[in-house]
Amino acid sequence: MRALYTASTGMAAQELNVQVISNNIANQRTTGYKRQRAQFQDLLYQVIRRPGTATSDQGNLVPAGVLIGSGVKTASTARVMTQGTINASEKEYDLAIRGEGLFKIRMPDGTAAYTRDGSFELDAQGQLVTHDGYIVEPGITIPSNAKSVSINGQGLVQASIPGQVAAQDIGTIQLSRFINKAGLESIGDNLFVETPASGQATDGPPSSEGFGNLQQGYLEESNVNSVTEISSLIAAQRAYEMNAKVVTATDQMLSATTQMFRG
Amino acid sequence: MENALLIGLSRQIALAREADVIANNVANVTTNGFKARSLRFEEYLSPTARADSFPRNSRILSYVQDKGIGVDLTQGSVEMTGNPLDVAIRGEGFFVVQTSAGERYTRDGAFQLNAAGELVTASGARVAGENGPITFSPQDGRIEIGADGTITTAQGQRGKLRLVRFADPRSLANEGDNLFSSPQPGQPLGAKGRVESGAIERSNVRPVVEMSRLVEVSRAYQNISNMLQQTDALRRTAIQRLAETPAS
Repeated sequence: MRALYTASTGMAAQELNVQVISNNIANQRTTGYKRQRAQFQDLLYQVIRRPGTATSDQGNLVPAGVLIGSGVKTASTARVMTQGTINASEKEYDLAIRGEGLFKIRMPDGTAAYTRDGSFELDAQGQLVTHDGYIVEPGITIPSNAKSVSINGQGLVQASIPGQVAAQDIGTIQLSRFINKAGLESIGDNLFVETPASGQATDGPPSSEGFGNLQQGYLEESNVNSVTEISSLIAAQRAYEMNAKVVTATDQMLSATTQMFRG
Repeated sequence: MENALLIGLSRQIALAREADVIANNVANVTTNGFKARSLRFEEYLSPTARADSFPRNSRILSYVQDKGIGVDLTQGSVEMTGNPLDVAIRGEGFFVVQTSAGERYTRDGAFQLNAAGELVTASGARVAGENGPITFSPQDGRIEIGADGTITTAQGQRGKLRLVRFADPRSLANEGDNLFSSPQPGQPLGAKGRVESGAIERSNVRPVVEMSRLVEVSRAYQNISNMLQQTDALRRTAIQRLAETPAS
């Protein structure tokens, strides 16, 4: 009986759905986290009677055929790249992006990774780095004698040096953007890498055409909405139970068959 | 006597198939744009021999046959997602999708972009616009989809979603991947097409209905098993009784 296998695909899909939801809830307070959403598609259909075929030579057609589906599959767990809430952190090197773009990070092996998490720090050389010590492109080194550092909406980093009246320009933070942000691959540590699906990165300064601007002293929170996640969780749990119920009912039918004609 | 067994069997085969259809509906309870299907049965009247010389009039036997699986095209519940590339159709109509096998139709409006900036479905098939595929450039900024399916960005209009309707939507066949195929091409919906952006149409499977039908199917199946068992017992008893030699 096919129903048994069909229901098991449903149970597997709902299990994955709960996995995705639980990861979203776990990362509710992760800076720059973008929630994922499981999307499902129906599986192949077995055609027993195709609609639209002729039933007589007078041109009568089958109005609705017999098509038996074989369950569900996961199509994607795409990220929803909407803006997260921006929250004041009052830390000097905390940056939030308002609008499009991702920070470009230089990985230890020289490749590029991208993030929306702008909670940066300085390393021993005064370089602007992520929590893991990776350099933020294009590499900004703050002079050791700087009194204070300001980063404006265009990404320009300026330091006030004792004895100088005017602030000193140090560099401009670059952002990158992709035509298909949802196609980026997550590698953990709040980082994304480019894939053939995301397209090539386009680099540019903040506030230029198509890029968002920067906000110093603020962080972008995750875009997880707890109400949505909890209601999706309830829906997924109930859908799982329903599929389990189909397994039970099919089992009862099979057992009725095996118990027929017991001598 | 065998007729009772065979008629019972025809019903059981049909019920097992109905259970398959329910299982598929339940498995797709969270599939975007999924349309529930339900099985329809018909009587299959068996031609029987007719002769007046028979001691009793011959009776017509009616078997069960599954005739078609209707598709329920009612609107599924619409969930607001806020994602600019999610589109739900309000009322009738289908999105047109270009696949390698030709045009296919879907109600699943969870669209994405591919690396070339084209609007695609979750399985990567291009979504058709009124004037060919819909393509975006990295400079486009925020994408807005109007109520009539017009797509605009900061750089201007980018096309319009093509919506079609079918004179006979029952002839739609499921292809998997949330796609339908149709023997006749769809007719343009024109100004009647209404879409909602930032929303997704969920499956229209009604869990309560499916669960109660499932119970019904399961019970009917068991009843027929019992009936077949009783028929068998009747026959066995008959053989035993008739074969008994009368005590002399």
